[in-house]
Amino acid sequence: MMLKLVDVFGYLSVILRAGTLVFQSLLLGGVLFVLWIARPTAEAGTGDFAKVQAYSLRLLRIAAVGLAAMQAFYLYVNSAALMATAEIGLRDVVGANFFISGSIVFISALAVAVLASPHRKAAGRWLAVLVAVALSASVMTNHAASRMEGRASLVIVSFLHELATGFWIGGLPFLLMGLHLSRDRPTQWYITKRFSRLALVSVGVIVITGVGMSLSYIGSWQALYGTAYGVMVSAKALMLGALIALGGINFLLLRNCAPDAVMPRLRRLVEAEVGIGITVILTAASVTSQPPAVDLVNDTVTAQQVWSRIKPTWPRLGITALAQSSTASPERFLPPDSMTTPQTSIDGTPLSAAKLADIVESELNHHWMGLLVLLMGALALLARTGKAKWAEYWPLLLIGIAVFIIVRADTEAWPLGPQGFWATCLRPEDLQHRLAALVCIGFAVFELRVRRRKLENHPAALVFPLMCALGGALLLTHSHNLTNVKEELLAELSHVPMGILAVLAGWSRWLEIRLPAKDRGIPAWIWPVCFVLIGAGLLNYREI
Amino acid sequence: MLTLLLLAGLSQVAWAHAILMESKPALHSSVKGPEVAIWLRFNVRVDGGRSRLHLVGPNGAQQTLPLAKQTSPDILESQAGGIKPGAYTLQWQVLASDGHISRGEVAFTVI
Repeated sequence: MMLKLVDVFGYLSVILRAGTLVFQSLLLGGVLFVLWIARPTAEAGTGDFAKVQAYSLRLLRIAAVGLAAMQAFYLYVNSAALMATAEIGLRDVVGANFFISGSIVFISALAVAVLASPHRKAAGRWLAVLVAVALSASVMTNHAASRMEGRASLVIVSFLHELATGFWIGGLPFLLMGLHLSRDRPTQWYITKRFSRLALVSVGVIVITGVGMSLSYIGSWQALYGTAYGVMVSAKALMLGALIALGGINFLLLRNCAPDAVMPRLRRLVEAEVGIGITVILTAASVTSQPPAVDLVNDTVTAQQVWSRIKPTWPRLGITALAQSSTASPERFLPPDSMTTPQTSIDGTPLSAAKLADIVESELNHHWMGLLVLLMGALALLARTGKAKWAEYWPLLLIGIAVFIIVRADTEAWPLGPQGFWATCLRPEDLQHRLAALVCIGFAVFELRVRRRKLENHPAALVFPLMCALGGALLLTHSHNLTNVKEELLAELSHVPMGILAVLAGWSRWLEIRLPAKDRGIPAWIWPVCFVLIGAGLLNYREI
Repeated sequence: MLTLLLLAGLSQVAWAHAILMESKPALHSSVKGPEVAIWLRFNVRVDGGRSRLHLVGPNGAQQTLPLAKQTSPDILESQAGGIKPGAYTLQWQVLASDGHISRGEVAFTVI
């Protein structure tokens, strides 16, 4: 029971770490925005600065309360887990490093929440001191603090990395809010220009410190693709690349176009930047749940092992197998070659017939799902060409996914298994699957209406891209175990690219809806391609 | 939806940070009793005051081992006395300096 407690708290800790990093970044970005970017100067005039400042302070207070709440919950969860599993009292927990650091972050965040008010004119420098204290304490709960070698330099590098991340990614929501609130073009232009200069410096610091940390924590090319840590860092770097690309577009727009031409596009691009930026931070939280790759001396997967798992192979799409229940007689479900050739896991352990049947069933489910997603993407691409009106009905394939979930999610229950529909209706797992199928049908109907009746200006049209992006972010935010590190990594190698593609699909669809009509061309092509690639990835998904 | 299905494949979650780099007794080794010295080296600094070692004997009985004062931030040491021949499992749980809790096992035989 106690051991299970640590497992459950493990995942919760990743979520809390993610929340902490997001709010901490908002705090850093917000303080800099209030103290420097949105501060009126003689050059910019007075403009709408007072309004932008007041609302920025409000958002800053929300971020501070969010960070304090995350820290309080983190302290409670970590202390409870430690007290329960190590059988020690609260008095013993209080002296632990994490408790001291977490308490400092908590108190600093609360103080920011109190001081961040337009009525406290002299509070500015205190805000800066408090967020610096909060960041310093927060860094003491990441990898750098526990290293045996190079601890001091890694702590400094981590501090700079998180500081630059906060200034840039954490400042983006404040910039977006500033652009939305200010009706005055010179004010918009001024804060955007200032933010752009800051972003440029921040990107440089993030890249340099990121490379420095990678050299210390990953250490070799093989560890970059052969460990979960290396793969997640690569995923983070790829998404950072997408973010830098968007930032680069903004930068070029600011340099080359007039304010009236830039601002309508810029706001939409910043919206996508905020979304992808938060996903990068969530991925960073996932990275912190793993031991650095450099420490996994005997658990790095080789290039040959990776290739043998990801090399293109014909998918399992047998209709007969699809209609069978694997639990009644697992051997019946196995492909003929598995009976003659012994199958083993990555570490050479022979797989039992039941385990093998489970794997085959899982692969079959993934492959059929992949086929449906691939078709969705292909039809969306076809519709985009404007030469096949009927392809606009691609959301109907979501109904196919719903049917698939109902039929295949539980092969012991209706319609494949012996247990009836009503008997399994209140079982949480089956209820969850059926609700998920209903959500799919809902999406199908709604997305079809968006396409056929041109509801793209309706706010609800943004639900589908948001769900795609959220799904991708969830795939990139999970904790990791050490019971079978190599299998974990191989599973990750298939899931992480799909997570990244889902995030890109979501935000490119978002941009297609939100950008001015003449700028929608490129994003309108990106998301269907992402769907095709996700489908192809699922079709090639394998567990052995 | 797709995410939920994919995440189901990653359902074995755990908190994993500290790795046991080296141990005495080593994994699947044989040592002489009845006095067995325990020595564990991790990849990170661990908080000895908030870490625990348990020894599970051949009959399933579990005893908590007292930890000696740390000689290095990455090392835990203990001494098990009165150990009879048989298969044993050393269960460790450590609190890393960064606040992560990790745990693991070392199986060995006393001859």
